[in-house]
Amino acid sequence: MIELKQVTKQYGQAAVLKNITLSIDEPGIYCLLGRNGAGKTTLLKSIAGYQNITDGTIKVDGKAITTSTLDTGVSYIENFAKHFNLPVQKLLRIASEVNPSYDYDFASEMMERFELDGKKKFNHLSLGMKTMVSTMICLASNKEVILLDEPVLGFDAIMRVEFYDMLAESFQKHPRIIIVSTHIIEEIAKTIQKLIIIDKGSVRFFDTLQSVETKAFSISGLQKDVEAATQNLNIIGQDTVGGLVTSYIFDNPPKETAFLEVHPLSLQDFFIQMVGYKGGIRR
Amino acid sequence: MKAILAIAKRLIASDKISFIITALVVLCATSSGDVVLSNGNYTWLLAVLSPFFFVFYDFKKFIHLGASKRDYFFGCLISYGILAFCVSLVNTVIHLLVDPAYSARTVINLMDVCKWMENGIIAAGLQQMFFLLLVMIFLHVLLSMQTHWYGWLTDALLAAIICIFTPIAPLRAVLAGFFQMIMVNGNAVLHICICLLLSAALSLGGIVVLKRKTL
Repeated sequence: MIELKQVTKQYGQAAVLKNITLSIDEPGIYCLLGRNGAGKTTLLKSIAGYQNITDGTIKVDGKAITTSTLDTGVSYIENFAKHFNLPVQKLLRIASEVNPSYDYDFASEMMERFELDGKKKFNHLSLGMKTMVSTMICLASNKEVILLDEPVLGFDAIMRVEFYDMLAESFQKHPRIIIVSTHIIEEIAKTIQKLIIIDKGSVRFFDTLQSVETKAFSISGLQKDVEAATQNLNIIGQDTVGGLVTSYIFDNPPKETAFLEVHPLSLQDFFIQMVGYKGGIRR
Repeated sequence: MKAILAIAKRLIASDKISFIITALVVLCATSSGDVVLSNGNYTWLLAVLSPFFFVFYDFKKFIHLGASKRDYFFGCLISYGILAFCVSLVNTVIHLLVDPAYSARTVINLMDVCKWMENGIIAAGLQQMFFLLLVMIFLHVLLSMQTHWYGWLTDALLAAIICIFTPIAPLRAVLAGFFQMIMVNGNAVLHICICLLLSAALSLGGIVVLKRKTL
């Protein structure tokens, strides 16, 4: 269980995380979405105890997390994580030795599935393969909280599909909290259970993917018709093209009429509306 | 414990550069004149180099492998113990077997300079080992602090102590007394106890520093 209470992180005068309160109680695969600079990495690093927060508290399984926590029970992997320049097989074995809960069989199986040459040294791997090795080590650690910071960066399309399968398998084998931050939204949708959207250091959305599917809609039509239909609904964005208005809602959709077009929002469109920016201009 | 030992093993195995530099210096160093320095003295170089790699090169890698900070720290302490033992053993062997080969010249080995040989070869080896352990832990803590303001402050303080204490006679006596206590000490039991106590105190300081370490 992860519990964040009024978490604020400042770098000098700049607040990267602003008063975040969030509770992740159940095991599941959570997707952390946010624009570049939204505070995703800072949030994940703070939960992992890699850095201290300026204000508030972070608890993982009831244990307060700061840099002082010598054993956090959290496994975090970042892009371009450095490892010993050893053959991949040896690296995985060492990871199993230094981490008592490590699932070596899972890591070996994944190594074979991704056709990683176990004899190849880490520094000789491509960027995608390096990231894959780091991700495998992180998932095989079997810690109660797994944090993957943009793990698919540098992956080709096939590797990404295999990665999502690996994620799902790992979770099935050992259900726990897995948070994945990514920019490739639609692809991960099949794998995740819950979505966290952060923007400018604040949590904008935290709910199930199902709620997005059942409540996120676009309603298009003439301005007066759209306004009438969305009067008491939760509008998250709006576009106007000529005399036509499109309102984006996160609510129970109104009934489709001859004057209104109601369409479910894709995850990506929902995300764009939630963070509410286009071309640097707030909508 | 298995994790700590695995970390210690990997720390020593990845310390190749320190081993190579030390071996090269020990094998290639030459002296001329009637008074020569024992090549065994240069084995101490390993004790100076290793903490640099453990702190700046290995820490992040172990954390990325899923090791805990606590296991990393105790792994470092065990590695320092093993390295101190090995360095002490090699220097003692050199002092016993190689130094007498320079029959016509006076050979200076730090084991003699520090008066450790007065207590016999085994006690001298142990004194050397615990002294080197202290040096390595001191360096580890000092280097771990370098990314923080208090690391720079400690550097400045140490430099200031040496600069101020050296030219002023009464203060120089205090400084000399301190080094006599931790290094040039003929009383084996007292020396080992002091080194162990200081090592323990520095280790506690090291944990405090580690707790503030960010990634």
